[in-house]
Amino acid sequence: MKNFTYYRPTSVDQALALLDTRWGTAELLAGGTDLHDLQKEYVAQPSRVVSLGGVNGLGGIAANDREVRIGAGVKLAEIAAHAAIRKHFPGLASAAGDVGGPQIRNMGTLGGNLCQRNRCWYFRDEHTNCLLKGGQRCFALEGENRYHAAFAQGHRCVIVNPSTLAPVLIALDATVEVQGPRGRNNVELAKFFRAPTGPTERETILAPNEMVTSVTIPVRGLANASYEVRQKQSYDWPLVQAAVSFTRQDGKVNAVKIVLGHVAPTPQVAEARGIAGRAVTEDTAAAAGRAAAEGAKPLSQTGYKIRLIEVAVKRALLIAAGQKRYWEA
Amino acid sequence: MPWPSKRRVIGTKVPRLDAPVKATGRAKYSFDINRPGMLHARIVRCPHAHARVKSIDTAAAEKIPGFRAFHLLVKPGVELLFAGAEIIAVCADTEEHCEDVARAVRVAYEVLPHLVKEEDALRPNQQGTLGGNDPNVGPGGEFATANFDAQAFQNVAHTVEARYGVPVICHQCLESHGQVAEWDKDLANLTVYASTQAVPLVAGQYAQYFKIPVTRVKCITHYMGGGFGSKFNPGPEGLAVAELARKTRAPVKLMLDRAEEVTVGGQRPSAAGTVKIAATKDGVVRAYEVDCYGSPGVGRGATVNMQYLPYVYSHIPFIKRKHRVVRLNIQTARAMRAPGHPQNCYLTDQALDDLAARFNPPIDTLQFRLRNLPPNDPDAAKNAPLSYLALRHTIYTREIEIARKLSQWDKKWHAPGADKGVVKRGIGMALHTWGGGGGVNNDVRVTISADGSVLCQCSTQDLGTAERTVLAIVVAEVLGLEPRDITVQIGESPFGRSTPSGGSTTCPGTAPAALNAANAARDAFFRAIAPRLNAQPGDLVIEPGRVVNRGNNEGMPWRQACARLGQNTSVGTGDWTPGLSLQGVGGVQTAEVAVDTETGVVRCTKIVAVQDCGLVINKLGCESQTAGGVIMGLNYALFEEAIFDRTTGRQVNPNMEFYKLGGIQDMPDIVVHMMDMPERGVIGIGEPPTIATCAAVGNAVFNAIGVRVPNAPFTPDRVLAALASRKGNR
Repeated sequence: MKNFTYYRPTSVDQALALLDTRWGTAELLAGGTDLHDLQKEYVAQPSRVVSLGGVNGLGGIAANDREVRIGAGVKLAEIAAHAAIRKHFPGLASAAGDVGGPQIRNMGTLGGNLCQRNRCWYFRDEHTNCLLKGGQRCFALEGENRYHAAFAQGHRCVIVNPSTLAPVLIALDATVEVQGPRGRNNVELAKFFRAPTGPTERETILAPNEMVTSVTIPVRGLANASYEVRQKQSYDWPLVQAAVSFTRQDGKVNAVKIVLGHVAPTPQVAEARGIAGRAVTEDTAAAAGRAAAEGAKPLSQTGYKIRLIEVAVKRALLIAAGQKRYWEA
Repeated sequence: MPWPSKRRVIGTKVPRLDAPVKATGRAKYSFDINRPGMLHARIVRCPHAHARVKSIDTAAAEKIPGFRAFHLLVKPGVELLFAGAEIIAVCADTEEHCEDVARAVRVAYEVLPHLVKEEDALRPNQQGTLGGNDPNVGPGGEFATANFDAQAFQNVAHTVEARYGVPVICHQCLESHGQVAEWDKDLANLTVYASTQAVPLVAGQYAQYFKIPVTRVKCITHYMGGGFGSKFNPGPEGLAVAELARKTRAPVKLMLDRAEEVTVGGQRPSAAGTVKIAATKDGVVRAYEVDCYGSPGVGRGATVNMQYLPYVYSHIPFIKRKHRVVRLNIQTARAMRAPGHPQNCYLTDQALDDLAARFNPPIDTLQFRLRNLPPNDPDAAKNAPLSYLALRHTIYTREIEIARKLSQWDKKWHAPGADKGVVKRGIGMALHTWGGGGGVNNDVRVTISADGSVLCQCSTQDLGTAERTVLAIVVAEVLGLEPRDITVQIGESPFGRSTPSGGSTTCPGTAPAALNAANAARDAFFRAIAPRLNAQPGDLVIEPGRVVNRGNNEGMPWRQACARLGQNTSVGTGDWTPGLSLQGVGGVQTAEVAVDTETGVVRCTKIVAVQDCGLVINKLGCESQTAGGVIMGLNYALFEEAIFDRTTGRQVNPNMEFYKLGGIQDMPDIVVHMMDMPERGVIGIGEPPTIATCAAVGNAVFNAIGVRVPNAPFTPDRVLAALASRKGNR
């Protein structure tokens, strides 16, 4: 990797002061599970690396009756094991517990999971000058794109957002606290992500001199779940992920939210149809799954993801409703 | 001397003697070798799949701090044929500086057209991309039995014609290729710590390259982290690091990084094609026709073993085969654990099950195999009664019966697709064969010392046979000791000759040599101590832990007997001799899968591997080797694929992230049964257990969902596509 100067500030303000107004020169280092890879591949070549390891105030999970606040520096393993999170947000606990392997979960943080770069193999190949690195074209558009977007319409770069915590958090109406030169700002997580199209944009709306400090999830008694279709059970990315939440009354569900992961450059909020006001059954859940996949415009090799979206949504709804997992023998 | 008829240690389960040092990280692999004053090297590689080097400018690189030396591997003007081809090796004081130096080398290229996909190269009138007038597609052999066209498909009840394919995969050695090279002060003697599966051979290759006597090259491979057929020579990186060590007069280390390991460290060639197979109404296969192709990368070799199609069913009366070699701008193929056999097995065993399914009702595929097993060869039965050819029907019949019981086949098998539910279970079977014999030029030396210690030395390497343990078991058996009592030293070329670990020959090559050496050492020992015991050497015998004088039936503990050596040692040497090992095995595997028909995700739940192996030296080692082969085959079936981009010509997954390998949660229950046949002598089994797994899994998927997924790996998208095609047809 390219040589860099390592900084270890002790406060958010100190950390922010070390960042730059443009991307690429300074990078925040949390668990390092993404940044160091990018550096070794020379895709990231910062001259300043700002460690968050010594920054006060980024750790801790604070839970009360109204909300759960998770510091950006909290490790994924801690999220997966936390009692209040498991109780209120089993979808989040399962998503966090399914990331990578134990080593990744013991290093990777919430903030890192939300802000990590995409896994596109063209983007991560130093020798392929794709759109996101200032090149003229997206190589995945006509190339090897089996792990890329299924809702590709309107996108010049057809990555999928890699975060598996984001879809659940969006389904749970979480907000993310961003700090920057203009102070503190709470942003709905649903509005936090964007589809990058060039080297001056990333997968989030963060400015280069801003950072995530925490995520807050309201406690509203929503049923919720996340389901990932994965080729491998050990250490793999999902092919498709569905996160759902809803309210329940008299056996009927309402305020259904469906958020898809690994199908578009951002977490994809899907329209929830065919289920509101009804009970969750295999039939209604399947109908909701079909509706969620409507409008997909897959690439040459991602047509299969349409079917996976339907199934993932159906299964996530059934899990959230506490129904039998018919696919587990 | 034959193998002892009563065996106390041989054939038992002995844990690896070096397990503790490996598990605790104390074992030093080549990657772990760090010599005083050591420098680091790496190679600048061509990023293009096909390019001509216009110029190489090192001016900026020489100014990088820590720069020490270059070694040019190609000259400007040369045409490079794949991404990753070597250009120049660079050397610096640290790994980090070395990388900076490499990146500062400026190479100008004229980028030329490339082809990295078989289907593109097979298009008519495709312009060659290999330089000169070399076409990308060439013949790989043709063969037909007499009257094939006229008679093969007459009087048949059912015929299947279908396409099957397996992709290019990579060796993915956990320890990448590489060496640490060190010359002495006078540049007269070279020591190389090499990650190799051919210690003396590699020493000889260095000697030849540098034109020095082989006695002045010492190749050391105490431990190595996987080769699978890809580590028989120093490679360009190994020669370059020795050149740089000479130029800098310092030890230099060069180990490939992961992306290099994947893109230049070796590949198993692809194979795909159309198979037409037919059976009579009695369920006897009458005809097998295959028209296949595969890519050895820029190499020229065939990618299947042409002469062995239709694989173990070579007795099928009508056979026709055609193979084309599709050369692409990717690294050249290297031998990979049973070269050609997994491809052959796949192109044969998938078609068999598809044919069995055509019968009404479908024939149980275990029964179908029993009905179509190759007969024992009567000529071989006369001339070589213990040979595979003489015994193959007997062996497969016995193995299928064992597999039937261990897999609960009769309960598990159903008509293809008959399982109800969303997650469908299925079971499949495949058969394989392999050689695995030993040969001469394996020197083992056994030394008995007066303190009772025993040293066993051989230059051979441990590619995965648990070779230290193999040698210790044999010596311990002869000397009445336990394997842990034997100090084994391997992996140093000055220990003498040993054959490369290829073709599953290491155990059958070295175990007989160890037997001969141990016998010789014991005899020398008896000769030395007999006068001091007032005995004749012929009166002395070994009992467990003791030496006994048959003359007076007096015995003494081993160490006490050894003490009679005084200042002397007793040394025995031995080489492989005929009659102690054999080659030729069968092998049967069954796989059970659960296919989620909504997601297309395949999980393999159980594999039964029944493997014949002649005389088992270490049962635990044999079982472990077999389980390892099964895991490798399972990855071939479900996960592995080298994916190349048509536009850039580059492999998009030169890593362990998207070049997928199963983890612990993806592993099935692996049931290994070693079918001992001690009368046959030692037979190596490093390779056979990986052959049938992919085909067995493919057949299990077919049995589960009732539709063939033609191409491995059986990924969710392919399974869903196969399921959709069936729905479309009905």
